[in-house]
Amino acid sequence: MWHYEKKLQYPAKVGKADLKMAKYLISQYGGPDGELGAALRYLNQRYTMPTGQSKGVLNDIGTEELAHLEIIATLVYKLTKDACVDELKAVDLGARYTDHDRALFYTDAAGNPWTAAYIQTKGDAVADLHEDMAAEQKARATYQWLIDLTDDPDLKDTLNFLRVREIVHFQRFGETLNLVQECQNAKHIF
Amino acid sequence: METGNPMYMRLAQAQVPFQFYTNRWEPMKALMMGTVFPELYRVYQSRK
Repeated sequence: MWHYEKKLQYPAKVGKADLKMAKYLISQYGGPDGELGAALRYLNQRYTMPTGQSKGVLNDIGTEELAHLEIIATLVYKLTKDACVDELKAVDLGARYTDHDRALFYTDAAGNPWTAAYIQTKGDAVADLHEDMAAEQKARATYQWLIDLTDDPDLKDTLNFLRVREIVHFQRFGETLNLVQECQNAKHIF
Repeated sequence: METGNPMYMRLAQAQVPFQFYTNRWEPMKALMMGTVFPELYRVYQSRK
């Protein structure tokens, strides 16, 4: 079970409404390397991890990804909530308006809906942890490309916080991989 | 810890160095930086 704290993990400040940025940022909500996929991937892989430590890391990081999902949702909502229909049309968000008005939806930057095909659970801890480490690197790269796409110092600041968290998660998954491999090697499972 | 020893490295097996505690930022600074550990912080130079 979870306990909810009614606050964001990090402030989601935006300098000004920027519809184009909202359109790009949505990828970290429901895109291939986004926070929804990360949270669901890790929380689902927990069950077949071989050690308490590896289960715990996936639980903790999966939970934190939900907190990141909430930050992204807040950013996108703030960037779009005051836009008029003509402004949405002008940045090619008319299709999104048709299906969702200004509501959030899990898509990538091009509007493709989130799919479980973005994530995997193999039942092999080493294989799953490699996927998780790759996912952290892809999410880090996505945050970097998003930082390149904006001039808003407040938005850059929040994106950089999230980027640093991906780096920390990579380190923790790497240590977990070492421990799982050590455990397996000690048992002569190859 | 045996896995911290480079002699333990095996072929066809990925390894990330274990982190050992050295120093930390103050809690309020850590909350804003995204990590309490200065050595895990990486600056990104935007391509712009």
